[in-house]
Amino acid sequence: MTGRRVAVTSPQTRLAHARRRYRGPWRPATLDPAEMPRAIALHRAGRKRAVSALAALGVLIVGLPLSLSLSLWPGLDEVRVAGVPLSWAAIVVVPFPAMVAVAFWQLHRAEQAERAFDTDSLDNFDKTGSSDNGVGEDAS
Amino acid sequence: MIVALAVAPVVLVTMLIGLRGVAAMRTTSDFLVASRRVSPLLNSAAVSGEYLSAASFLGVAGLVVKDGIGSLWYPVGFTAGYIAMLALVAAPMRRSGALTVPDFAEARLASAPLRKLAAVVVLVIGVLYLVPQFRTAGLVLSVVTETPYWVGVVLAGGVVSATLALGGMRAATYVQAFQFVLKLVLFIVPAMWLLIQAGPDVRTEATQPTEFTHFHEDTTVTFRVGATLDVPAGAELVDRDEGPRELESGAWEVPPGTTVTFADGTPVPEVRGEAVPGADGWERPLLDLDDEGYPLLGTWAVLIATMLGTMGLPHVIMRFHTSPDGRAARRTAAFTVALLSVFYLFPGIYGVLGRVLVPHLYLTGATDSAVVALPAQVDDGTAGTVFTGLLTAGAFAAFLATSLGLLLVVSGAISHDLVPGGLRQLRLAVVGAAAVIVLLALPAAGLDAGTLVTWGFTVASSTFCPLLVLGIWWRRLTAAGALAGVTAGLVSTIGAFLISVGGPDLHGWVAILVAQPAPWTVPLAFLTMIVVSRLGRPAPWATAAMLRLHLHEHRLSPFVSRDQGDGAARDLGHSSWPARRSSAVRRITRRLGR
Repeated sequence: MTGRRVAVTSPQTRLAHARRRYRGPWRPATLDPAEMPRAIALHRAGRKRAVSALAALGVLIVGLPLSLSLSLWPGLDEVRVAGVPLSWAAIVVVPFPAMVAVAFWQLHRAEQAERAFDTDSLDNFDKTGSSDNGVGEDAS
Repeated sequence: MIVALAVAPVVLVTMLIGLRGVAAMRTTSDFLVASRRVSPLLNSAAVSGEYLSAASFLGVAGLVVKDGIGSLWYPVGFTAGYIAMLALVAAPMRRSGALTVPDFAEARLASAPLRKLAAVVVLVIGVLYLVPQFRTAGLVLSVVTETPYWVGVVLAGGVVSATLALGGMRAATYVQAFQFVLKLVLFIVPAMWLLIQAGPDVRTEATQPTEFTHFHEDTTVTFRVGATLDVPAGAELVDRDEGPRELESGAWEVPPGTTVTFADGTPVPEVRGEAVPGADGWERPLLDLDDEGYPLLGTWAVLIATMLGTMGLPHVIMRFHTSPDGRAARRTAAFTVALLSVFYLFPGIYGVLGRVLVPHLYLTGATDSAVVALPAQVDDGTAGTVFTGLLTAGAFAAFLATSLGLLLVVSGAISHDLVPGGLRQLRLAVVGAAAVIVLLALPAAGLDAGTLVTWGFTVASSTFCPLLVLGIWWRRLTAAGALAGVTAGLVSTIGAFLISVGGPDLHGWVAILVAQPAPWTVPLAFLTMIVVSRLGRPAPWATAAMLRLHLHEHRLSPFVSRDQGDGAARDLGHSSWPARRSSAVRRITRRLGR
């Protein structure tokens, strides 16, 4: 019992420790080249879906105040449902259900997109998957 | 007394749940993001619980009393923000693996100065948001019980910092989820009771707005903050000892702390620069800021600020980091839209009833307290007191939940980003930040809570919103561009804030764009980021850093042969990355995978 301790590591670990490492909290982001095409396709798909969801939201946010201010429906202030003017009800009863619908629509499509890339297009994906430089390619 | 009985359980349960979170907390990650093991439903309840602050629970109804039906656009913007969050930010943000927004900025752009700047922005937003929470806690407690203002402020500060310093994010999660349910119940049940109890006359009156010109009964008004009133001829005060006394007409400087009783049937004094509740335009479903005559511009400005601001609020983003993966973060955002939509159906009820029953609150500028003042007007017996107690408890839950999240990001920004340190320092930072906020809130009794919170939203919308959207979706963003854009957004909003507080008197659309600058500061920040980024070159790893955010965690590995069947799919999110291995190993693996 000499008390001397010796580090026992696999050759692979020794190799890894010998390489230059980034110190500090930050290290460059890595993305496996083989996954690049899928990432690009997901980025595009996500962007397309986000834009259409935001467009639907924009129609609501821009359109509802505009139509209320232009009084596209002139009788809105006079018509009352259970005593409440329709123009008051319009800014509570219309936007909230509409927004819930848009939210779940967007959620459904986003999850569907991710599932689609796991099943359907795996064949498609394997063909381009071997190329290291997939930045400029269209994977879908 | 009954009010104290209502607030005490909320405070106690908050502390108890907080203590439950103390177990098994060892690392910064445990403290800041609850070890990332919060399910979507629990998390969305916590997000909603944190988000429904004093501004939602009390402020919206108060704004309806003061400014009119158009104020109901605020909740629409608050909720719409989560759709933008869902579509653009939630999942990629979670996949970045960052603990805080400054962390994300550094992970994506590798710039230490950007991280510090982002931490400073977090502090600005945190202070703008926290001071009104503590202030309203003090004010509400002093309205319903006869305690001095500072008691509520110190109580709120003490409870929040103790819960957080002990239990961190895990405690905050359970507390906020519990308080969301509490707030929902304590908001909806009294609303229904008020509607039924108010009687058909008040209900009819509520939907037929008339200007508040005469007192309908002897009305006692307490001016906690000084005010300048324009007194019309014939206004009378009732003195308890001496009987009626006529007020001098003309300007009347009311010193703070005055309590007067206006006589039944006398005309109402006007507050300088404020529209009277129920005046022309009150019933219009658009938001005419400061009555400048541009209702459409005002409505859009508020919608842009609240919607894009929500996307950049650091304490809300932090909550998304507690989800186990990007998919759960996205589900959280969608559930949150639904939960908030239920809650926001009700502030309008308090608003329209408040205009009929407590319009005199506008004289003191304390329309925020309309919600807690209503039950006593409808029923002066036990039922009224009980419901006042319930609403006060709900309001207290609102301050506590929001302050918990905010204090957490503020202390995270100090102790994780500005001066990195361990768990012990984080706990100390919580207590220190709470003490500073309490000191700032003590002289702030006269500030308008809604205004400060809206400024918080505006700062977030013109700094973090462009940083996150471009950082996640645009690979050419550079650190220099992000720095320039965040600085431009911060400087322009703070400049507009200073002009609107102490600058010259402005009118027309210019006044709206200074009071609510989001319509031009947000595009300015976006443009600065894009132009400055275009002038430079993104780092070689920038594309990988951006695309990485869009890969979902539980994907099938490209290295597994399909012959092995589905069972061979590996969970890449939790294994060491093939790309991190040495190049020799990587080359061999790739050959095998082919």
